[in-house]
Amino acid sequence: MNAVTTPGKQIRVMVVDDHPMWREGVCRDLAAAGYDVAAATGEGRQAVRIAAAARPDVVVLDLQLPDISGVEVIQGLLEAVPGVRVLMLSASGEQQSVLDAVKAGASGYLLKSAGLSEFLDAVARTAAGDTVFTPGLAGLVLGEFRRLAVEPPVADGTTPRLTERETEVLRLVAKGLSYRQIAERLVLSHRTVQNHVQNTLGKLQLHNRVELTRYAIEQGLE
Amino acid sequence: MTDSGARAHGLQGPLWRAIAVYRIVALVYVAILVVRNVRAYERPMLAWPVLAITAGWTVFTTYAYADPARRRPPLLVADLLVTMGVLASSVWVIGRAPLELGRPTLAVAWHVAPVIAWAVAGGRRWGVLAALAMGGTDLVVRAHYDQASFTGTVLMLLAAYAVGTLVRLAETSQIRLQRAIELEAATRERERLARDIHDSVLQVLALVKRRGAGLDGEAGELARLAGEQEAALRALVTGATASAVDDNAEVDLTTLLGPYASTTVSIAAPAAAVRLPSKVAGEIAAAVAAALDNVARHCEPGTKAFVLVEDEPGEVTVSVRDEGCGIAPERLAEAAEQGRLGFAQSIRGRIADLGGTVRITSAPAQGTEVELVVPRASIG
Repeated sequence: MNAVTTPGKQIRVMVVDDHPMWREGVCRDLAAAGYDVAAATGEGRQAVRIAAAARPDVVVLDLQLPDISGVEVIQGLLEAVPGVRVLMLSASGEQQSVLDAVKAGASGYLLKSAGLSEFLDAVARTAAGDTVFTPGLAGLVLGEFRRLAVEPPVADGTTPRLTERETEVLRLVAKGLSYRQIAERLVLSHRTVQNHVQNTLGKLQLHNRVELTRYAIEQGLE
Repeated sequence: MTDSGARAHGLQGPLWRAIAVYRIVALVYVAILVVRNVRAYERPMLAWPVLAITAGWTVFTTYAYADPARRRPPLLVADLLVTMGVLASSVWVIGRAPLELGRPTLAVAWHVAPVIAWAVAGGRRWGVLAALAMGGTDLVVRAHYDQASFTGTVLMLLAAYAVGTLVRLAETSQIRLQRAIELEAATRERERLARDIHDSVLQVLALVKRRGAGLDGEAGELARLAGEQEAALRALVTGATASAVDDNAEVDLTTLLGPYASTTVSIAAPAAAVRLPSKVAGEIAAAVAAALDNVARHCEPGTKAFVLVEDEPGEVTVSVRDEGCGIAPERLAEAAEQGRLGFAQSIRGRIADLGGTVRITSAPAQGTEVELVVPRASIG
């Protein structure tokens, strides 16, 4: 695991999942792979509360918690620990909730059916600041940009748009190509492909924050 | 009739009130005509009791029909007979000669009310039946068969037919609306269940799959089975049943494709429903199934396939890519020439019928990609 080999500092991971067996399993796997499991909990509110003290670098978050929604947990976590990177896991792959969580600031998503090596690789990439996209998530993000494009434009013209290259890259991710395969096909560097994917997510998250602020102003909350 | 009638009460209420209002207005009209013509009657003294019966029956039916439970044959038949009786009494009260001279009957206009009541209660067949009976009585009573008499009867027949048809239409749309509401409620319930199942069964299956992944023998086999079932169950709970009413009703293409997701097949689609007429969506889903079937048949077991659904304003694009061995371009063309490319032909045929295009790209060791583009314009 490349992230763990960095000498001196272990990566701190917090695990939030309401299923005890699953949570313990994930903690064990992470510890075995050399991560410092800073905290583990099964509730969203508690996760937000203890995050400030645990100061994780990465949060492995089950999207479906019994108390509050995934979006609320992510917003709470980002407030408590600015810059924390959230890798979402979900068993059912519910579409809208995954998209909402990504817009709220999660930086990666993985189905729980993923194998152990795939999971550890995703955690390492999330810790390194990369974006972890499943083909399904790429399809959702593509769809979201298309939805925004046909919606009536907002007054200040902040409708986010993908560049042609970004669309091309995202389509290939949605079709299941790895970043390496995409780099080969488009004759780009691996890093460039990674940047394109990250940019699409950044645009979506920025747009979401603008929308939220606008909504707050409209509602007279600010 | 009674079942659907009960459901459409909300729509029938105003119609019954309209009949009551019509009856009252007609009663006033009859009363005015009696007052103006009574001196020409053969038995003028009998006109007043008949008018009283007419008024009484108007009041009674107004209250009786207000109760949905009584809008049934006993009251309807009584209504028809009483009205016919009033109409027939004209023969004795007014007399043959004045009637033949064109004096109006004692139930003029008023006699249409029960006919419309029959049409509302039983649809156009009952309406036409009542109109024929009432029209026949009217003609016999008036005993002069000129254009005007026939026109009255024909108009009554048309009115009964039209009202009967309208009522049936209203009932049908009410039932459809009801069904749509029920379907929506069922879908919501299913979604709620799906979320519940997520927390228990899926997690355990995924856990079993993961913990047993590295094990040999039976334990490894069990883990593999758990993984397969997990994928199948996830596809089931996320894909609601899409039961289309007819070819033009819109369905969500993503929902139709949901069942094809498995441990080896990934489906990427927008979060919002990709709405297409059910016939079009069905054809696209069948084409995707054919492509996936081809992957399963010709590639090694466990070959991964990826389906991407893209919804654009002008067209819908669906791509199916596999990581199989691929086909050399010259072999693809050769196979097509010899008519051996069954799957490609079946896909091309289906999509061409929808006005769409199919692009198949493949290279050895790079898998095959089938891209279907169906324009929304041709879909209408």
